[in-house]
Amino acid sequence: MTTALASSTHEVDDAFAANELFQRNGWTDGLPIVPPTEALVRRFLDAGRCAPDAVIGVEPVRRRRITAEKVAIAAVMAGCLPEYMPAVLAVIRAMCVAQYNLHGSTASTGGCAPMVIVNGPVRTALGMHATHNALGNGSRANATIGRTLRLFILNVLGGHPGQLDRSTLGHPGKFTYCVAEDEEDNPWLPLAVERGVPAGESAVTVFAAGAPHQILNEWTHDPKELLDTYAAAIRANMLTYSIWHGNYALVIARQHRDIFARAGWSKADIRAYMFETCWVKRKEWRTVGKAAVAGRKDEEQAYRACAAPEDLLVIAAGGTAGGFGAIIPPWIGNKSMAVTMAVAT
Amino acid sequence: MLTVLDPRLSAEGEALQMAPALASLKGAVIGFIDNAKIGTERLYDHMVEMLKSRHGVAEVIRRRKPDTSRPVPDDMLAQLRGADAIISGIGD
Repeated sequence: MTTALASSTHEVDDAFAANELFQRNGWTDGLPIVPPTEALVRRFLDAGRCAPDAVIGVEPVRRRRITAEKVAIAAVMAGCLPEYMPAVLAVIRAMCVAQYNLHGSTASTGGCAPMVIVNGPVRTALGMHATHNALGNGSRANATIGRTLRLFILNVLGGHPGQLDRSTLGHPGKFTYCVAEDEEDNPWLPLAVERGVPAGESAVTVFAAGAPHQILNEWTHDPKELLDTYAAAIRANMLTYSIWHGNYALVIARQHRDIFARAGWSKADIRAYMFETCWVKRKEWRTVGKAAVAGRKDEEQAYRACAAPEDLLVIAAGGTAGGFGAIIPPWIGNKSMAVTMAVAT
Repeated sequence: MLTVLDPRLSAEGEALQMAPALASLKGAVIGFIDNAKIGTERLYDHMVEMLKSRHGVAEVIRRRKPDTSRPVPDDMLAQLRGADAIISGIGD
């Protein structure tokens, strides 16, 4: 017997009117939605191999039981295709793991967004993009999987700006923030494999992230000099935003990857160098207008960007040309830590 | 015509509900959860004074969360069990 859907329903004239209803009620992010009809939601649930009442996770603070039905509704609204559902479900499951701190990262004035990194065969199966404009628009799957999370936060968690979402500023990644790793064009281990997922399997990694900060250095072939540029951006974030250690991410595009490859540097080598390089002293707060708090403790105390080298997430993505890369800072220190989750196949 | 599904979890009765108000504060035990933000301690000092001097509150149980952004630990919640009502600080 087919399980009945739990959601209440609304009658509208057509798709235009459906979008107007959702806009009026604050059920969307301001962009148009695909109307979530029962037929579509059932197709998505089938693709995710879930009963509508299957509990995908429980939000740990308000104890909200997150059903597959509401996740499927968000995915339909966001413009996903049904086959994206296993990846979407994996991200939601990951966000419900305690160390992600779903409630805190949703409610904080700090203004972060869930950033997703996709690894494994699911990237190519869904047509995700990992090269040119990797952190921007480029593929439907990147855009809509990321957007599903925002619609989920709005409608399932109640994360409306000014209500549960108390972000002072937020950032554009709150619309969508999903990147695939370029596994085909680099000699490195994929992020998910480094984090324990067997090679050849699909997985998502999610962390509560600030906006990307691009760096540029096309005037060296020395891996250490390149990393010094990334490190400077991390140190600037530590001084101007939050000094606390957490998951920083590096997004490294092809031109820089070639330099690391020629020098024989693995991701582990990069992490080790960055671990030793990315720290600031408390007294440096005095150089950025924070003298009022610098003196509260020992000003010679050093603060690292990451508590351990493994906390640095190294991601291969980006176009083939240009000496660009990016650092992506954590929300605030280690209040939320990255979670990697296998995609059910 | 098109029938669309409501995207909200709260639409199916999972919304948070307000606890019923106390009939009187006189002689009541009031719990305070301090969310460990900068201004909370001063605000709560003031509220405790008002509740005791103006409203006859008998006792307060104050606890400060170890971390602003994480849930109240279970043992801390247990310590507040004797309160008739609890005030939880949210925000800055």
